[in-house]
Amino acid sequence: MGPNATASLPGSLPQKKAKPHRRFDWLPFLLILPAILVLLAIQVYPIFYTAILSVQTREPAGWKFVGFRNFGILLESSRMGESLGHTVIFLVGYVSLTLILAFIIALLLNQKTSFSGTSITFLFIPWILADIIAGVIFRLLVLPDYGVLSGILQNPALFPPNGLSVLIDNAPKPWFGSFPFPPAPAMIYLILAAAWRALPFITLLLLASLQTVSHEVIESSRIDGATGWQTVRHITIPLILPTLVVALFNLTLGGINGVGMVFSLTNGGPGTSTNVLSYLLFSLGWVDLDFGRAAAFALMLAVVNLALMGGTVLITRVQRSV
Amino acid sequence: MASLFRTRLLAFVKRLPAGKTRAEFLTNFALLIITLMMLLPIATTVLVSFKREEDVTRNPPVLFPCDTPTSSFDLTACRWSLEGYERVFLAKADKTAPLGFILQGRMVNTYLPNTVLYAVSTALIVMTLASLAGYAFSRYQFRGHDALMFAILAITGVPLLTNLLALFQMGISLRHLPIPIYNDRVFIIIVYTGFFLPMSIWIAKGFFDAIPKELEEAALIDGCSPVQGLALIVVPVITPGLTSIFLLVFVGVWNEFLAGYLLITKNDLKPAMFGMYDFLSQNIINAQVVAAACIIIAFPMVLVFLVARQSFFRAMVEGAVKG
Repeated sequence: MGPNATASLPGSLPQKKAKPHRRFDWLPFLLILPAILVLLAIQVYPIFYTAILSVQTREPAGWKFVGFRNFGILLESSRMGESLGHTVIFLVGYVSLTLILAFIIALLLNQKTSFSGTSITFLFIPWILADIIAGVIFRLLVLPDYGVLSGILQNPALFPPNGLSVLIDNAPKPWFGSFPFPPAPAMIYLILAAAWRALPFITLLLLASLQTVSHEVIESSRIDGATGWQTVRHITIPLILPTLVVALFNLTLGGINGVGMVFSLTNGGPGTSTNVLSYLLFSLGWVDLDFGRAAAFALMLAVVNLALMGGTVLITRVQRSV
Repeated sequence: MASLFRTRLLAFVKRLPAGKTRAEFLTNFALLIITLMMLLPIATTVLVSFKREEDVTRNPPVLFPCDTPTSSFDLTACRWSLEGYERVFLAKADKTAPLGFILQGRMVNTYLPNTVLYAVSTALIVMTLASLAGYAFSRYQFRGHDALMFAILAITGVPLLTNLLALFQMGISLRHLPIPIYNDRVFIIIVYTGFFLPMSIWIAKGFFDAIPKELEEAALIDGCSPVQGLALIVVPVITPGLTSIFLLVFVGVWNEFLAGYLLITKNDLKPAMFGMYDFLSQNIINAQVVAAACIIIAFPMVLVFLVARQSFFRAMVEGAVKG
């Protein structure tokens, strides 16, 4: 859609000649230029650099081209497979828990009672905290023996046989081959902590969408005799479905990329029980110093991200055109 | 006790007039419980930060350090202390200093000032660049307009983790070049600018789109020069939007950990989140010190949020709708 599109009429062929010759306007390009330069250096160049790194491996003599071997090794490695399992469990728990809780809280806030304004403000405080800080806060709660929650969790009477020590207990024996299910206590705790921090933003997203649902629709379903749950199930959820999907993608993206909380809460442990993909990528790059393989991994992660992002944009477009 | 509370509550609810008032009370009550639950982890951290070491390392743990040998809770016997904060600040008396003491803790004399510097400069640069670009994208139609906007959106889809490897190598190469006044501070500010620009450009465009073009045209007709029109008409209207972008970027940089941790080599230049991570690895048993450090880093952001929450919500809704 250029400026010509608005001026063009069907059937007027010599468009360009008919238009008065105008000087090329440099101003918009000058305004955009500084931003574009920064983005080229910090966002675009690294992608190409990563792509080049991903087909190489570091040898004592220097970098050596190895084709797609890095990708092959990664996809076959058991470490990656296990980490993928952890990530799937984390994502399923984190996304579903956050969505359900956020939906319930948004429904309550949408009643616009006397307390809802104050409530939104205070509910949002976890969102403003850094993921590192949120991780530390949850870590302090379950410090072995001394954490405030440890007093309850480590009680053998409540959690037989030995009580629960979130930061120490290993995962139970997996039920399905090597898929890490049931998850370790640390993984469940990580899910709770991550959901806690994501809850405010998703609640706001859903609340904004709920406020577009017209009151008359809800009211008329009530008059027709629908119960509260029936109204939510058959009227509210279908009406805000696009936003629910956007929230789902948003959470999935955040869950895949978020690494700060793993850092400060569990450090990937105990053992490897919270070694999710983002943390594995960090370890590959900065613990193993295997930049070639880490780059291959990073590229795969970027593809997953772009796909989810594309999905979100598509849904938002469809939603707006309806 | 719990059941007594329940019967009393039910009796209270029954006494409320049926219909709207009762529903409102129940909703408020549910919201109150949820809000308190959400704030509980923060509240316990605040409590821990004001405890003494003996009370932090008790097994079984106690929530309030207020027990005496004779009673389990005695408000007059509470042993609150600033030990954790003192160990973060490491204040030392010094006659030559303006306030009579100097702070020796690295968190307060190195890491936090670094974070403030990075957050303020990044937010200012992003705000400027994003408003220039956002204005151009909103007011001009030019060749490649939509493609560029889409490319900027696609960039937001590439995670920070992916770019870090290349930026790490870039940092090493740049460090070895003889560029005057260049150090890791300059690099990290540019990197943060790159991280937060794409989202900010979209948000800025949204804010400019909301201002009718007729407003500027009217000013031009009334005899304003284009620059005057921009300065006198557009800037005042766009200020709340720019404030939102500034705050969002400021908080984003303040809370960022991985880039600050990996891309800066000298500890003297690292930000507060690294200081926090460092504390965690050193003081794992001294929970009151870690908790105090948490509160010191997080409190300014909570304060900023409580004062300017409308600005945050405005930018968030604008950003979230665009993806």
